[in-house]
Amino acid sequence: MQQFNIAITGLGGQGIITAGTILKNAALNSDLQDVSGSERRGGAQREGYVEAFVKYIFYDSVSEMQNQRKNMHSPMIASGDADVLISLEPIETLRAISYVNKNSVIIFNTNTHIPISVRMGKSKYPELYDILNSLYNITDKVFYYDFNKLSIENFGSIISVNVISLGVVFAKTNIPISKNVIENILLKGPKAQDNLRAFNIGLNL
Amino acid sequence: MANLFVEGKYGDKGIILGNEAIARGALEAGVGYASMYPGTPASEIIITLDKNKKYIKNIYTEFSLNEHISLHGAIGASWSGIRSLCAMKNVGLNVASEPAHFLAYTGVKAGLVLAIGSDPGAPSSSNEQDDRWYSLHTYMPILEPSNIQEAKDFTKKAFEISEQFSFGIILMAPSRLCHNAGILHFGDCLDRDLISGNFKRDPENYLNLFNLAVKNHKKYLERNELLKKYANTSELNIIIDAETGSRNHNRRRNNNRIGFISSGVIYAHLIEALNFINADNYKILKLGITFPLSEELIKRFLNDLDEVVIVEEAEGFLEFQIKKIAFEIGYQGKIHGKNIFNAYGELTVDDVIKGAANFLKKPPPEYFDTAVKNLEMISDKIPQRMGTFCVGCPHRGSIYSILKASGYSNTDSKDRDVIIAGDIGCYTLGLLPPYNAMDWLTCMNSGLSIGQAISIADKSKKIIALVGDSTFYHSGIPVLMNAVQNNSNILYIILDNSWTAMTGHQKTPSTKIDIDGIPIPNAINLKDLLKSLGISYIKTIDPNNVKRFSVLIKEALKEKGLKVIIAKRECILQEERRNKIKNVKLNNKPEIIYELQKERCVKCNECFVELACPAIQLKKEDDNKEFYFIDTVACVKCGVCYEVCPNGAIRKVEFNLHSLINSEPQVNLLNNKENKTELKIIA
Repeated sequence: MQQFNIAITGLGGQGIITAGTILKNAALNSDLQDVSGSERRGGAQREGYVEAFVKYIFYDSVSEMQNQRKNMHSPMIASGDADVLISLEPIETLRAISYVNKNSVIIFNTNTHIPISVRMGKSKYPELYDILNSLYNITDKVFYYDFNKLSIENFGSIISVNVISLGVVFAKTNIPISKNVIENILLKGPKAQDNLRAFNIGLNL
Repeated sequence: MANLFVEGKYGDKGIILGNEAIARGALEAGVGYASMYPGTPASEIIITLDKNKKYIKNIYTEFSLNEHISLHGAIGASWSGIRSLCAMKNVGLNVASEPAHFLAYTGVKAGLVLAIGSDPGAPSSSNEQDDRWYSLHTYMPILEPSNIQEAKDFTKKAFEISEQFSFGIILMAPSRLCHNAGILHFGDCLDRDLISGNFKRDPENYLNLFNLAVKNHKKYLERNELLKKYANTSELNIIIDAETGSRNHNRRRNNNRIGFISSGVIYAHLIEALNFINADNYKILKLGITFPLSEELIKRFLNDLDEVVIVEEAEGFLEFQIKKIAFEIGYQGKIHGKNIFNAYGELTVDDVIKGAANFLKKPPPEYFDTAVKNLEMISDKIPQRMGTFCVGCPHRGSIYSILKASGYSNTDSKDRDVIIAGDIGCYTLGLLPPYNAMDWLTCMNSGLSIGQAISIADKSKKIIALVGDSTFYHSGIPVLMNAVQNNSNILYIILDNSWTAMTGHQKTPSTKIDIDGIPIPNAINLKDLLKSLGISYIKTIDPNNVKRFSVLIKEALKEKGLKVIIAKRECILQEERRNKIKNVKLNNKPEIIYELQKERCVKCNECFVELACPAIQLKKEDDNKEFYFIDTVACVKCGVCYEVCPNGAIRKVEFNLHSLINSEPQVNLLNNKENKTELKIIA
């Protein structure tokens, strides 16, 4: 059995849940494949923390798939067990740091969203330099871009930050899913042309 | 997913949410009546059926006013021969506990399933209660699915069990299952043409008084015994032997004779945890039916082992029952549970890994410990982030006005002369910083209820009690009547945003216009309702008009007796959605943007901290100087910051979006400097 775990984190309204759903839909093609993963939706629309887990399972055989000790999966990702962390806000990357290990790939959005605690002067928003230091202490594979800027420049709003980040996943990680599968999913969804373009922007970063 | 939810059949598979899987299970079982009072994490169960009802034959869906009504509705449908599904969040069962306690007495006709979304860790709730304990006195059987497939399959099965034993069945789904999304293999649906109601009198079961109640009590205890026998052989309870599950036949047998018992999502954590620490050679009992417990099965499992570890969330409902069975059979081994796992907070997969690793003395892989430490090392450097009101939310205006009127902005002092009672809804977020606006938060309508007693107990304080429109209709009217009758000295502010917004915008009894702009018939007029109660002080105000609102609050607090203010403004998310549907933005009418002019801003923090609108953000210039700006992409032009700025640093700019769009298809309001020549500055 092979597993590939992706944690996606960020804030309500950034399309975290949608990004997770797009990735999950890519697992419907093979009978020996499973996917699941829970979502934290409470903060949706209200500036709160949102996360989605995508856990791909690839069984070696039908008997393994029927094995009750193998075919049940926690909806959560255990500490250190994520192959990829996508984060759409810098400090949310730090908050999710326990998901990654030294071989994980971290992809994050440098656009900051100042939390209330920082507004009130009760805490300090860390510098990008310090955030990067903390991340590089764990893994070399850290990729960061201003997805908000890219989305606004190309689409006039931040609506595409999630799909651009998915493009980066396919460019920078060994995700065991073909990018054509994702393109087909985007093609069938709403705003197909914009999403395909956003995905390709991410692919070429 | 087009409409796989409705049209899917055996052989189909799709990506689906746990809640949708529960709804689909009910659909496959031929559900005809589905009701709930919305509550996270359970809301999507009924939302899914409701939004698809035009494609589903013979279904009735209802967002009832409260859980008490909602469960009674499901009972009425069941007695009429219609399979019914009722859903609610954990605390909903407190409200529905009355019908729940009679359900075993009367029994059901068609299957009745009560799906409960529990919320360990309380990410969306005001407590962590484990509703399973209710079954020790309601005798409602409990099924606990572990994953998305089981959520669907168990729901379907629950209808059959319900009919077979004449109990309403509880389907327990914690938020980790409700909001788990993954692959579901569909089954076939029952023929929906066969759904038709026919209520038949059944006085022997439905009438409960004196000896009739005693007789029914005896009957359901007997049915419960039958159900225990059923649980002995039901495929919903599974024993996984140490060898069968493992492909490593040649591995040395574990002679510690240790076993695990678990259920629901925690069972999924357990399987993953045991694989994680390479401990896949232990006997496991997976309980799908967690009330009543199969005594035979538990005995058989225990007798084979020296030590048993019960892995479950909250106070240990399984442990309580299993220890009782162990006592009866004189079990000599050890039973562990809450001595290993916390009785509070969410039990995460990490917690189960740590607990199992410590108990079995099999350390998790090094990278697990390293990852845990990585976060510990930096966690104090990560600024806390808690939710707040959406950009443009009318509650922000309300809370800001209340704080200004009472003089408590941005302070969490314990000595306040104005008491502010919170309640359940989006406005609850006002208890968080920077507002710190509330003095208590417990259950629905605790604000005015507790407040009116404090107005008697401590006459030196002024009291403001808040309530949202949906919470008010849920169970607030009797509280208000009580306050009227006793002429409580209290200011009651009804925050009327026209929707049950927190749970996905279900309509309330006074919602007048739906999302498509179509009038809703029979909408209740809130003001008329208040007048009919004989309340003389009733004022209505737009909460975004913060200056007038805070003056009004100050005035009202000077008056004696019961005062009611309706802070009326529609939820901004719904307003925006409706505008999007109607394409209002493309009308040839002037648009407004608000601009924060950094040269006039003295960073007094009135907008940035006191009002704390998320659209007002902080940026650093090249010389490292910080300045505030309005993120025009996030701003919804509510204009409240413009009103509160004491320095005139925020300016209102009017322009014609229509001409901008016609001239340039990819308009970028942030960078489009040329088009600014067209802007007309009006303030």
